Amino acid sequence: MSDVIVRMEHICKSFPGVKALDDVSLELRSGEVLALLGENGAGKSTLMKILSGVYTKDSGTMEIFGKQVESLNPNSARDAGVAIIHQEMNMCNDLTVAENMFLGRELYKGVVLQNAQMNEIARKYLDELDADIEPTEVVRNLPVSKQQMVEIATALSTNAKILVMDEPTSALTSREIENLFRIIRKFREEGKGIIYISHRLEELPRIADRVTIMRDGKYITSGKFSDFSMDEIIRNMVGREIKDKFPRVTCKRGRKVFEVRHLNAGRQVRDINFSLYEGEIVGFAGLMGAGRTETTRAIFGVDPRESGEFFLDGKQIRIRKPEDAIKAGIVLAPEDRRKDGLCVKLSIRENIALPNLDIIGGKSGILSSSKEEEMCARAIQDLSIKTPNENVNADTLSGGNQQKVVVGKWLVRDSRVVMFDEPTRGIDVGAKVEIYNLMNKLKQQGIAVMFASSEMPEVMGIADRILVMCDGQITGELSREEATQDLILKYATSFQAKQ
Amino acid sequence: MKKRSSWKRFFEIKGMRNALTAFAGLVVIYIVFGIINTKVFSLMNFLNVLRSMSKYLLVGIGQSYVMITGNIDLSIGSVVAMSTMLVAKLMTMGVHPALAILVALACGLLIGVINGFLVGKFKLPPFIATLGTMFVARGVGYIVNNNRNTDSINSTLSKPVADHFQNLFYYGKFLGIYNTFWIALIIFIVFFFILSKTRTGRHIYAVGSNVDAARLAGVDVNKTTTITYLVSAFCATVVGVILCAQASMGNMEAGNMYEMYGVAAGVIGGVSPLGGSGLLLGTFAGAGVWQVLENGLNMVHAQVGIQRIVIGVIVVLAVLADILLRNRKKN
Repeated sequence: MSDVIVRMEHICKSFPGVKALDDVSLELRSGEVLALLGENGAGKSTLMKILSGVYTKDSGTMEIFGKQVESLNPNSARDAGVAIIHQEMNMCNDLTVAENMFLGRELYKGVVLQNAQMNEIARKYLDELDADIEPTEVVRNLPVSKQQMVEIATALSTNAKILVMDEPTSALTSREIENLFRIIRKFREEGKGIIYISHRLEELPRIADRVTIMRDGKYITSGKFSDFSMDEIIRNMVGREIKDKFPRVTCKRGRKVFEVRHLNAGRQVRDINFSLYEGEIVGFAGLMGAGRTETTRAIFGVDPRESGEFFLDGKQIRIRKPEDAIKAGIVLAPEDRRKDGLCVKLSIRENIALPNLDIIGGKSGILSSSKEEEMCARAIQDLSIKTPNENVNADTLSGGNQQKVVVGKWLVRDSRVVMFDEPTRGIDVGAKVEIYNLMNKLKQQGIAVMFASSEMPEVMGIADRILVMCDGQITGELSREEATQDLILKYATSFQAKQ
Repeated sequence: MKKRSSWKRFFEIKGMRNALTAFAGLVVIYIVFGIINTKVFSLMNFLNVLRSMSKYLLVGIGQSYVMITGNIDLSIGSVVAMSTMLVAKLMTMGVHPALAILVALACGLLIGVINGFLVGKFKLPPFIATLGTMFVARGVGYIVNNNRNTDSINSTLSKPVADHFQNLFYYGKFLGIYNTFWIALIIFIVFFFILSKTRTGRHIYAVGSNVDAARLAGVDVNKTTTITYLVSAFCATVVGVILCAQASMGNMEAGNMYEMYGVAAGVIGGVSPLGGSGLLLGTFAGAGVWQVLENGLNMVHAQVGIQRIVIGVIVVLAVLADILLRNRKKN
């Protein structure tokens, strides 16, 4: 039960200008789930990349199954039994499930691929996970949760005994999370070791045996999960006390700012009606695929819609494309920051300036660099974005700071309505609180704030009013006082219940 | 945040390192050829190099605009041919050069608009869309004079008018430098300014870096894409006019491969064909490298085959070196 299968000691790793890991140690035993915790940029991913052979350590020792390992490459790490289930799925979307599972180690007879045999083996592993997936299905057509199952099945098929899971639940519905936990527990019983990385601390009690906490590239502490209180864990991660995970300010509800009537856009946005008022934050709750993201996109004019009327401060406005919405003062910080929120090859300055070039350029369209710098400096300061300077590429920042750029670019202009879609996905506790404070600040300024989130504690903690969506419709409206997890879940599944 | 000196900021401009490296390469190549054959250093040769590189600079500007949005324009060479044929044909019919140029510009820009809409609005892969217009524009060039090159423009135009046209675009000088270079330089400065200092320019970089994020930030992607193809078509049309002035006739096969010369000029200067980065300053240096190589190899009497091979190798090496350097920095 307690034999150590991975032992990493005094691991150091530097990148030009940064000491990413400074004397970090980690121990994984067979038959346990080790939660590896830390804020974004704490070095968790770097450490795991060393374990899986993507990076080589500068110094320190590493043992896998009691055998000293000097340097690993991805292949030898796989042979040693290490497999990583990535946060962002690493698959060839146009190939089939089986083709992906056998990528790089296809079965041949002579020069001919043994497709039937590979499909059969793939099916065996998928069945082991009770995953309802055909080996011949094209990966692109699978929902994220099933893609993840394919990754896990791939790991199993390589006979992995050490599984690293990086934010495995961030894109799953609660039922899918249940299934994932069932599988993880099964692995644990089989004596495999699982390193589990997640920002969702609330799921740890259900799964973690031990924890190891890192901060700023350094090892902080580790021990049995049951020996820690949640506050202790957070304090160790953040390095300071976070008194209030969900800071709240109370404002008087004021005038109606924005109203949406009869919004229809495809299957996932059906007859949406709601209003936003000054001095309140409205949270959109619901399961994955309930249509929250689609609603924000339809309002913002990104996706086409069949019908819908918008009223801003009592006057009807037309929104046909995002520019119209922005001009009217309605902005959206989108869900997928790497895909929709950031130009990762452009600098922070350019990203912040992009939607505000009408201000920076004025009528002539000629950009004033002093105005641009001033605007950017203000955003960096107001949001305390951690960056060496404003000219570095956006993709060099940590997730939390990237999110601040996505949000920050909208806050330097005067808006009436700010929509956030999953404002805190994949960012750490400290950065989350900063985002919440920001939302509260907007609320105090009389700006109508709405946000969509699949994290229920967040919706209940931050929103003054909660709208629950299910299958493209708003199925319930709750005030903060009456909202409970059960009630939200009831509304969120109401459509399925009817069937 | 500390205030950094303007000098340092200049070097920190993204793509500046690549552009300056290309300029350094340009100087080195020029000196090497000059040592082999001192005639390379002669004033006359220098002026000729400036004039000849103007064509590459112009197609390079157009292609760079398109490449920075992450697209490509294969129709440039054909638009050059169409333009040169149209201008020449109209002038042989007695039309005044100014009017002939306007007609050619209108037709060239029409191709640009079509490219822009096919790629920007209808989301056709740029390779396919501009492959289509490449054939169409070349075809129009053929039809203009019934599948033959045109007669000399001197045959119908009065001598002063024809001379004035040819001097203005090719043979004449201003301040000792050929007009062709001045024209290219003015166009370069204008488009350099637009790309680096205006809203439109910033939108071009944003579209190339991340189309979805740009759209969500309120950028009109269709308009931005169309603008880049218009710039490309405009530059190609001007090159067509220059070629007509040079040859005093229209040649159906003119501009062959010019779209690729444009790619080469941009890429040598650090413009990424994947979009999102690159400076026109680099394109300037790239066009220079290209022309100095061609000129230098000519002066040392290398045969055409050798010239092609050297140029091909240089293009790949320029990009390879950049990638290797960047990878080393990462690790």
